[in-house]
This record gives sequence, structure tokens and C-alpha cells, in this order.
Amino acid sequence: MMKMLNLNDIKNYRISSSWKNVFKKTLIYAVLSAGSLIMILPFLWMLSASFKLEKDVFRYPFTWIPETFQWINYMKIWKKIPFLLFSFNTIKLSVIITFLQLLTSSFAAYAFAKLKFRGRNFLFLCYIGTIAIPWQVYMVPQYIMMRHLGLNDTHLSLILLQAFTPFGVFLMRQFYLSIPNELLDAARIDGLNEYQIYFKIMLPLSKPALASLTIFTFVFVWNDFMGPLIYFTSDKVKTIQLGLRMFIQQYSADYSLIMAASLVSLIPVLILFLALQRFFIEGIATTGVKG
Amino acid sequence: MRKISVVLLLLVSVLMLVSCKKKDGSDGTGVKLKLVLWDINQATYVPVLLEEYKKLRPDVEIEIINIPASDYIEKVNVMLSGGDDSDIITVKDIPEYASMVTKKQLDSLDGYIKKDKYDLSAYSGVPDELRVDNVLFALPFRSDFWILYYNKEAFDKAGVDYPSNDMTWSEYEAIARKVTSGAGADKVYGSHHHTWRSTVQLGTFQDGKNTAISKDYSFMAPVYNMVTGMQKDGIIMDYASLKAGNIHYSGLFYNKQIAMLPMGTWFIGTLMSKVKEGVTDVKWGIARFPHPDGVKAGTTAGTLASLAINAKSKNKKEAWEFIKFFCGPDGAKVLAGAGSLPAIRNEDVINVLSSRDGFPKECAGALETSTVRLELPMHPKVSQIEQILNEEHELIMTDSVTVDKGLSSMTKRVNEVLSK
Amino acid sequence: MNKKGNTSLLYNKRLVAYSFLLPNFIGFAVFTLIPVVFALALSLMNWDGANEITFAGLKNFRELISDETFRISLLNTFYYSAGTVPLTIICSLGLALLLNQPIKGRNAIRAVYFFPYVASLVAVAVVWNMILNPTMGPVNEILQKVFHIAKPPRWSASVDWAMPTVIIVSIWKNMGYYMIIYLAGLQGIPRELYEAAKVDGAGNLQCFFRITLPMLTPSTFFVSIMLTISCFKIFDLIFVMTGGGPGRATNVLVVHAYNVAFKNFNFGYSSAISLVLFIIVLCITIIQFRMEKKWVSYF
Repeated sequence: MMKMLNLNDIKNYRISSSWKNVFKKTLIYAVLSAGSLIMILPFLWMLSASFKLEKDVFRYPFTWIPETFQWINYMKIWKKIPFLLFSFNTIKLSVIITFLQLLTSSFAAYAFAKLKFRGRNFLFLCYIGTIAIPWQVYMVPQYIMMRHLGLNDTHLSLILLQAFTPFGVFLMRQFYLSIPNELLDAARIDGLNEYQIYFKIMLPLSKPALASLTIFTFVFVWNDFMGPLIYFTSDKVKTIQLGLRMFIQQYSADYSLIMAASLVSLIPVLILFLALQRFFIEGIATTGVKG
Repeated sequence: MRKISVVLLLLVSVLMLVSCKKKDGSDGTGVKLKLVLWDINQATYVPVLLEEYKKLRPDVEIEIINIPASDYIEKVNVMLSGGDDSDIITVKDIPEYASMVTKKQLDSLDGYIKKDKYDLSAYSGVPDELRVDNVLFALPFRSDFWILYYNKEAFDKAGVDYPSNDMTWSEYEAIARKVTSGAGADKVYGSHHHTWRSTVQLGTFQDGKNTAISKDYSFMAPVYNMVTGMQKDGIIMDYASLKAGNIHYSGLFYNKQIAMLPMGTWFIGTLMSKVKEGVTDVKWGIARFPHPDGVKAGTTAGTLASLAINAKSKNKKEAWEFIKFFCGPDGAKVLAGAGSLPAIRNEDVINVLSSRDGFPKECAGALETSTVRLELPMHPKVSQIEQILNEEHELIMTDSVTVDKGLSSMTKRVNEVLSK
Repeated sequence: MNKKGNTSLLYNKRLVAYSFLLPNFIGFAVFTLIPVVFALALSLMNWDGANEITFAGLKNFRELISDETFRISLLNTFYYSAGTVPLTIICSLGLALLLNQPIKGRNAIRAVYFFPYVASLVAVAVVWNMILNPTMGPVNEILQKVFHIAKPPRWSASVDWAMPTVIIVSIWKNMGYYMIIYLAGLQGIPRELYEAAKVDGAGNLQCFFRITLPMLTPSTFFVSIMLTISCFKIFDLIFVMTGGGPGRATNVLVVHAYNVAFKNFNFGYSSAISLVLFIIVLCITIIQFRMEKKWVSYF
């Protein structure tokens, strides 16, 4: 009976709204592709510039397809700066910081969202408050401290600096809040302690939040420029973003190389995005919890 | 999820292990000097000089701290504030120098100079301009000044004589208008004023009556009127487009889109090497910087790059020895050989530069100067004032305010800073 | 006995809570909180970054009142935030709704919209300035030739248009990230809700306003807080795109604080500016949290 009704429903639906559907789909596609073009256009410009001679990058009128393709630009970026080493450093920093960030902030967020302790609100306000302070303001005191610890010009300095940012705690806390307390209470009655609850219930449920925190932290560290600028001085610890700046000299700038290097450095992050996409989009649908 | 975590954990631990490789310590003998500078890839004379110094002093090891030019000042400031003990600091511009002096981050060089009886006369008076309360904190090694570059073909085509070594600003404007030709993609602009404030304002300092720090900026009006007029008539490219487009003068000059280019001597070396590499086949010449009426030809403005000793350095004596070499006559020859203008500019040095392959020999006279003024004078508030000048310059050049309004706002704001 | 057990249980609970907090808190306190407190305390001091720190009292705050650049940058900060926050929310929500539809190539399109978020700012600033170049850029060329606008905007080179330009680029760059947060939120809405509504005869529009929007409030809450905070402390984008110009047209609070600290070496004054920023942001955030109960529904 139920099945029959459903089938009929679908048939009716198809007949009455197929035209409307087609129209709707076309509209969506039109809007999305127009939008995509705007999104992509600057990258096409970068791509085109990366194949040009330096002197032609800003030449007017602009040509989208260069007269001759300077493939050599993509070779030059590896030779003019130690791009491979810089990439390795960047990957290393991004992975370690992201990992620590995920671990510690989801841990702390659980306490903020689901456990009661004295000073919780005040502490949380401290966390939120520091998000509101621009880094440029306290980077000098921070640098002086790091120097006293003898950590400047090491990767450890940046790792310590960026692995415990309050943003991660905030993001995870907001997500945990939407997980019903009844679920945890039931688990407590079943005899699970808080650590078990965290590992067995919260972590598996928070895949989407973890995925989006991963993306956020990874992209931040990947593209961070001021941090590495302030803390890293020798070439063996420098990152891609610092390398990009080496193409801008006092009286000249190699924008074709900057574009080439920027495009190359985009690839790993995009791969990460594609790999994680299913987590923050599909992971939650089954749990019925949202962030 | 579990698989991913395992992979992640592995990755992290591998990376941690890799990063824990031991640092190689020094062997204990000899001194290690840390030299802070920018654009090491660009300054071809630095490796040559280091090599030479190694022959001279094999016991001294020089470690280079290379910082991107665009962020040099911020980085050095934070380093020094944090108590960094790098030995030799390269001073990029006057505001930076002034700030480091007031913050007592540099050591006076006078003691060393007196002890070694080091001869400063070769620097033709430049160190005097660097004195603060009669104390010298830095020694220049490179001193660039402003000249006029031109594209010979553009002048030949227009049937106009090449710019001369004795030319007033109004003569300059007149020939700029004459050599402007074409339209659209083929347009050749008569001249080019890059977006820097100095490309306009330098012309107002040459007579020596005013500097960039003043209580009344109305003296700048004539030059601003000239430049904005040229911009309106399409003799020079539109400031707004240049600024927004990040458009660099070099590309325009290589592509023969501009006939003249008032620019610093730093461009000589780049230009020579780009012609050699085949990036451009522009036939170029140089002339002295144009000057106002009644001012001697060869009067121009310049910028310095100098070396100074960090007050926190632990090897000050060794640092001074290195500075003496780098900024001295030997260093000067190497710089000139690399196409850069050293601070010591005797005939020898000029000959080294002008005899280089690709230098337009008939133009050597353009490098003779009568007076070189500093782009910015020494003043404790110079960086704050420079910021104001830059902002108002931008407003005038983008046509957001009239010349008079911009200059009076400049006057008002600078006076506020000076009176504080 | 019983009482003792209770307190020790409570004590235990607290210990557990602290143990969750500790790994993050130690790092946070040492490397962020302490420098922050130190930096904020500097607002009562004179410091040039090298010489001795001296006590200044309220001097720095008195100076704020007569500082024209501070007033301009404060207004600019509000202007930028007022433009960016609502527009980013609308754009990213709209995108998420569109990309939640079952269409072909959805993943690829999502990646495309996410692209800008990943790109390096140096390159982005150069490219956008070129595309929006007043005389040579393709956008103005189209405006002139296709739409016959004689005097198209001069974008980042004009006092009036510089801020809108920065806002547009900012939305372009960040939209993709907030879209992701909304997408995640949309997945969490149980389908039964829509089915039930359809049975009750609700239209698409009604579904959107009665179900989608309310169910998305936690996401909107998070997005609006994060956006507000990041807008008030905007620095990088403006620094590389306009440098605060032309003149002071896009000079925002953090740019001003940065210039004061690193060009004028007045760290005390710079901290005072940041303290004002901090208080403003904190007030807004607290208000947002207070209002949370009124409009945010955690189902």
C-alpha cells in the first residue's frame, strides 16, 4: 500500500513538473557557471601571466594567450629560489600545526561545551577575546619571548605559536554544542568515562567540524607570510610565501615567476580540499547533527 | 577516519624526526659575522666581495641573513627590538637609519675611524649628511642618484635631439610633449613618472632651499602642476593605472612604450644585463637629471645604502674591519664592475663602470654630478612625515584633490606632527 | 561519607575537565595570552621598541581623541565590516543552497568556488588590481564598450571606490569557506522535516523560511561571529591591495596601528588603538552571544 502510493506520487510529480524542473536546472547551471567564471577568471589571468616574459606581464593591451609560452618560468622557480626545500618546510609546518591544532582544540572544546567547571565562562571569554586582537599588535612581545627561549629561526617557534590558536577551540565548541546532551548522558549511564565518551562518541561525530578546521588551519599556515617573515631568517627554514617575496626585489619584481610559483603552491591545498570534501559535506547527514 | 589518522600520525612523526636533525655548530676557531641584507640574488657584487674578503681574512666567516626587500624594514625592526645580535646591519633608507639611531640600536663609528685614521674624504661629503648630532653611525657603500634614461629610437623617429646633460624641467616637459606619438597599443609616451613620490618631489628640492620636511609645501606646486598637466594630456601614463596595475617602469622601457624615464642609477646595471640576456633590444642613453631654472646642471638627489654595526654585536672590531673593506675603495671597484654605483666615486671607479660592455660610452658625462642631495633629510620624525607626504601625493596624482588643496593639507598635517 | 563522596566526585569531575583543557590551555596561555596581556598593558606606556619602557598614564588615549587618522580608520573599519559581513553571509548561503541541489559536477563546482580561499594573497591582490585597472583592465573595457558607461569607476585608485573594491575582493576570496560551513549545516537538516511540510502543502518558499533558515541558525551564528571579528581586524588584504590608500581612503584600524608601531615606533600608542578595537569587537561579540538564545535554535 505504502509502496504503491509512493510510486504514484513520483509519477505525478514527474509529469507535472518536468518542464519546471528543466527550467530550474538550467537557471541553476546558468547562475553557477557565471559565478564560476568570476571565480576562475583571476586564475586564468595568473596562468596566462605565468607563461609570459616578465616585461610583458602588464603590457597593454592585455593578451590572454601569450605569443610564446615561457615554459622556462616553471623551471626558473625551482632554480632561483630553493623552492623544493621551501615547499617541504611549508608542508611540514602545515601538517604538524594542523595536527596539533585538531588534537588540542577538540580536546579543550569538549570541556568548554560539555563539562562544567569553575571559571568556564571567564576562560572562554579569554579565548574569544584573544581572537579579537590582531596579531600585529602582540607580535613584538611574542617575538621577544621566543628569542629568550632561544627558539627564533626554528620551526618549533611557529609551531608553538600557531598550534594552540583559540579559533580552533571556538569552532569545535560551537559544533559540540549542537550534539544533544542526552546522547552523552546515556553513555555515562552505560559506564563510559569522559575520555571514552570523547573518543568513542564525540570524535566520530565531529568529522565535519574536524575537516573544516583542518582546511582552515592548513590554508592559514600554508599562506601565512608575516609569521615566517618575523621568525625565520635562514634559508633552510623558510617557507613558500617567503620565497614568493624573494621575487619582489627593491627595484624590480618578477611577477611571471610569482604567478607560476603561486599556482604550483595551490595544488597541494586543492588536493587536500578534494580529499576532505566528502567529510564536511556528507559525513553529518547520517548523524543528524549539524554545525 | 581511522586510516587517515594513522597516516597523519605517521606523517607527523616522520616530519618531527626529520626536523630534529642536529644543527651544525661552528668549529670554535675564528669569528662568525652575521650580515643582514636584502636581495642577495640581485646584488651580484656581494658574493664577489665575500670571496675577496675570505682571501684577505680566512679566519672570518660571514653568514648572510637575506630578507625580502619589500619587508626588510619591518623584519629588521622586530629583530633588533627582540635583542638580535647580528653584527652588521645594512641600512636601506634614511627613515630606517633615523629610527635605529634614536633607538640606540647602532654603534658610533667615529672611534674606529679616528683610531684607524680612516679617510672619509673619498666619500665626497656624504657621511656628513648621515651625522646625527655630529656622530656617524653608518658608512655608505652604494650611492645611487637620479638621472634621465631615454630611448634613442623614439627620439630618432620623432626627429628630436637627445636630452642634453644640461636641461631645465621646462625643457624636459617640452621635449616630452614632442616625442609623444601614436595611440592605443602603439602609443609611445614622452616620459614616465613612476608612482614613487620622489619622481615628482625631487624636482622641488634641487635648489637646496627646501627639503621634504617643511612648514609650508606650496613650493612644490610648480612641479606638481607640470606633472599633473602632462598626465592629463597623455604625455605620461596615468598614475592610477600604474599604481593599481603594479606596473613597473622597467617593462615599459624594455617594450619601448616610453621615450624618457627619470630614474635612479640602480637601473643601469639591470638594463645592461637585460640587453645582454636578450630580454630587450632597446637602444638606450642617459643624461643628467633635469634641473630647475637657475640651478647648476648635475644637481640631483640620491639614496644611500650603508653598513652599520649593531649595538648588540659581540664582534664589533671584526665588524668594523669588514665594513672598512666593503665600503672602501676595493669594494667600490667590485660594485662598479657589477654595474652598481659605489659611494666612493673617483675616476677609477667611474671608468670601471663606463667601460663595461653595453654601457653607452658617449653618455659617461651623465654620471658626473655637482651636488647630490639626500632624498629625505635626517629628522627624528622623518618616517611619520614621509607617510603623510606619500598619502597626499597619492591623492593629488589620482586627481582626488587639486594640487593646491593637496599641498595645503600636506602642510597642515606635517605641522601637526612637527608641533607634537 | 556520602558528602565526602560527593565532593571528591565533584573534585574529580573538575580534574577531568581541566585535563581536557590543559594541553591547549598551556600553549595558548604561554604563547598567546601572556603576549596579548603584555601588549595591551603597553597602551599605558611609552615604548619605542628598544629603549626603556616608561609609564605614560592615559596619554596615549588622550592622543586618540585628536588623531584624525584614527577617526578615519575607525570609520573605515565600520564601513568595511558593514559591507562585508552581510554580503558574505548572503553570498555564501546562496551558494550553499545552489550547490546543495543534486546537479552534475557538483563537487567540481564546489572546488571552483573554494579556489579563491586557498590562493596566496600577494598574487590575488596583483591580479585583482590588474583586472580592475581603471584604464587597462578588462572590467572597465567591458563597462565602456558593452554597457556604454563613459566614466566607469576607477576602482582601487579612487577615493570613493577603493573600499567597495576591497569589499568585493574580500567577498570573492572568503565566500567559499563560509559556503562550506553552510553546506555542512544544510546536510544536517533532517529530510523528514521537508517531507512533512510538503504533505502539509507548504511551498518551496515557505519551506525555506520555515525550515531551512531556522535550522541553519547555528551556522549563521558561527559565521556571523567569525566574520565580524575577522572584518574588524582586517589587515593583510588592505595592506597588499591598497596600502590604506588612496590617501587614507582604506586605512583601517589595524593598518593604522601597524603604521604607528612599525613606522613611527610608538608601540604604546599602537596598543591603545588596538585596545579600542578589542573593546569594540568584544562588545559586539558579547551582544551576539547574548542574543544567541533569542534566534539561534539548537535542535
